[in-house]
Amino acid sequence: MTAYLTRRLSRVALVGGAAVAAMMLSACGNGLASGGGEQSSDKGPIVLGMLTPLSGSSSAIGPYMKNGAQLAVDEINGKGGVDGRKLELKVEDEACDAKSATAGANKLVTAGVKISVGGYCSGATLPTLPIFEKADVPMLIPAANSNELVKQHKKNVFLINGTGAQQSDAAFKFMKKVGATKVALMDDNTSYSKDIADTTAKLLTGSPALAGRESVTAGESDYSANVNAILKGQPDFIYWTGYYQEGGLIIRQLRQAGYTGKVMVADGSVDQKLVDIAGSEAAEGVFATMTQTPETIQGADKWIADYKSKFGAAPGPYSTQAYDAVRVAAEAVKQAGSTDGDAVIKALEGIDGLQLFSGPLKFTPDHTLSSGGFQILTVEKGKIVLKDTLQ
Amino acid sequence: MTQLLWNGLFVGSFYALVALGYTMVYGIIRLLNFAHGDLYMLGAFVGFGVLSVAGGLATGLGFVALLIVLIIAMLVTGTAGLLLERVAYRPLRGAPRLSVLITAVGASFALEYGMRLLAGPNPEVYPVRLAGDSVNLLGARITIQQASLILIAILLMAGLQWLVMGTETGRAMRAISQDPTAALYMGINVDAVIARTFFIGSALAGAAGVMAGGYYGKIDFLMGFIIGLKAFTAAVIGGIGNIKGAMLGGLALGLLESIGTAWIGGQWRDVFAFTFLIIFLTLRPTGILGERVTERV
Repeated sequence: MTAYLTRRLSRVALVGGAAVAAMMLSACGNGLASGGGEQSSDKGPIVLGMLTPLSGSSSAIGPYMKNGAQLAVDEINGKGGVDGRKLELKVEDEACDAKSATAGANKLVTAGVKISVGGYCSGATLPTLPIFEKADVPMLIPAANSNELVKQHKKNVFLINGTGAQQSDAAFKFMKKVGATKVALMDDNTSYSKDIADTTAKLLTGSPALAGRESVTAGESDYSANVNAILKGQPDFIYWTGYYQEGGLIIRQLRQAGYTGKVMVADGSVDQKLVDIAGSEAAEGVFATMTQTPETIQGADKWIADYKSKFGAAPGPYSTQAYDAVRVAAEAVKQAGSTDGDAVIKALEGIDGLQLFSGPLKFTPDHTLSSGGFQILTVEKGKIVLKDTLQ
Repeated sequence: MTQLLWNGLFVGSFYALVALGYTMVYGIIRLLNFAHGDLYMLGAFVGFGVLSVAGGLATGLGFVALLIVLIIAMLVTGTAGLLLERVAYRPLRGAPRLSVLITAVGASFALEYGMRLLAGPNPEVYPVRLAGDSVNLLGARITIQQASLILIAILLMAGLQWLVMGTETGRAMRAISQDPTAALYMGINVDAVIARTFFIGSALAGAAGVMAGGYYGKIDFLMGFIIGLKAFTAAVIGGIGNIKGAMLGGLALGLLESIGTAWIGGQWRDVFAFTFLIIFLTLRPTGILGERVTERV
């Protein structure tokens, strides 16, 4: 009985081993023949990948980006695609968390994505850079904008949103403009948030001067201790660089603690929920640094109408950047004449004057926009409206 | 300085309310109910649901509406606590301690992500908000709402103290915590008393959830996680299994955080809180009020 079992088992193992070997051989064959195989796949759709938060703390943003990108894909396909090939968008959930983003990036690479047009949370986007780099996939990052993303000088990484440094510049410009003298900075210890706070702090050397810094832990409800600590420096301007969930609570608690000075938030906090959480009374007059949104772009009426008729809802933050990312990707493939990673990167570096929502596109040697396009919004009667284009 | 103390006491009273449920359950059946923080979240969402349905009527009534919602939420979370005990813990009462601990973690995830399916992943904002003028008392800004919330917390805690020390159920609870088998022989319905303990503990967590929702305004499906950890810390600092200890531990933790933040900066707040947990676990594992337990051979 036992001898029989052993025999059977060894036979199973042999057959299994042979099967695995055969599979590996055929896989190698595919790999070797990939030069020829590419020819046939060149006729199929060009797959674009997008990582965006569909769940988690920033899940409100994901659908905006997805829809914006889809709108561009449909428009380009409607005009016959790129070099006769259709575009196809594949979306994975980034959840604003490094683990989900890494898993999503691997999934996209396995699915044969040629260009990545996603990336919202910087902390989640950072670990995906090497994954796409290894697979020779150029990345056009529409939303994430931490300086960390470009600091590594990866050749496949392009930002089509202003960087943290450009955002700090805009913030600093506005602080000077409104005559702030003592500026306090608050961040939530994430890569995106700390980056803006750090670069802003470096600017605050003369007047306005830095009146204190405070980092909070995201996910709590009571920030009165932090608020208390930051008010000790008696600032007349407070800049919060984190996301809207904590931002709303902090604004409310600042006002409850009797702070009457100016408050500004960074682009991660620009969401109507910020006003809801803070309460419209506390949020009134709060400023925000923000890249262009559909509502604040002049001449985007037709685009907004297209978006509304297609998705049955108004476009939100980063829908225009996602839309532009797809257009830039299509343009680069067209100029490169292929979907080969290096050729596309070369084409991207060469693009000059493609009209985007943020202005004509030209990448700096760092692969960031030559003009950041940040502007100042403010809360007026409970709504976030454009205040100053800083032009 | 007075402001620091006041902030600490205010946050601490939330910790204390949640810590009470932790400590009661541990005191009676030696179970760390890791799903307890999520009952706080459940309470906040039940309150949100009721207020949304009641709509304009509730907004007009303000504080009174919140009180009514508080009672409804307490009943619902209490019942949820009962169910949790019946489904997840009672079948495992004879099982090794580790199995029950794992079930508790599982129950916590089930509650969190179940709520995400129901209410969505986005944070919600309470339709009725407590905001009002503040009074200056010895250099601290105190709002009437803060004071009322602390008062409600104190009343709930006092009620619990009376229940445990002055009623039949309370006596049965204390008997079971001493020796469940002997309590059974003495004619105590052990299952019923444990179920009641879960009901009360969960209702208190639910009450804290509604209070947090009404005061801070923002609720989300993961809000129970951090406060669950903090309440556990508070319970250990006060002496886990000890009801007065939980109240004391909650207030102590709130004060520690408040003063710690002012002293070494906000990013160290949680480090500070959990460092104290470790210090207590090494130097005085029984907590401030805990009694030394002698192993009987």
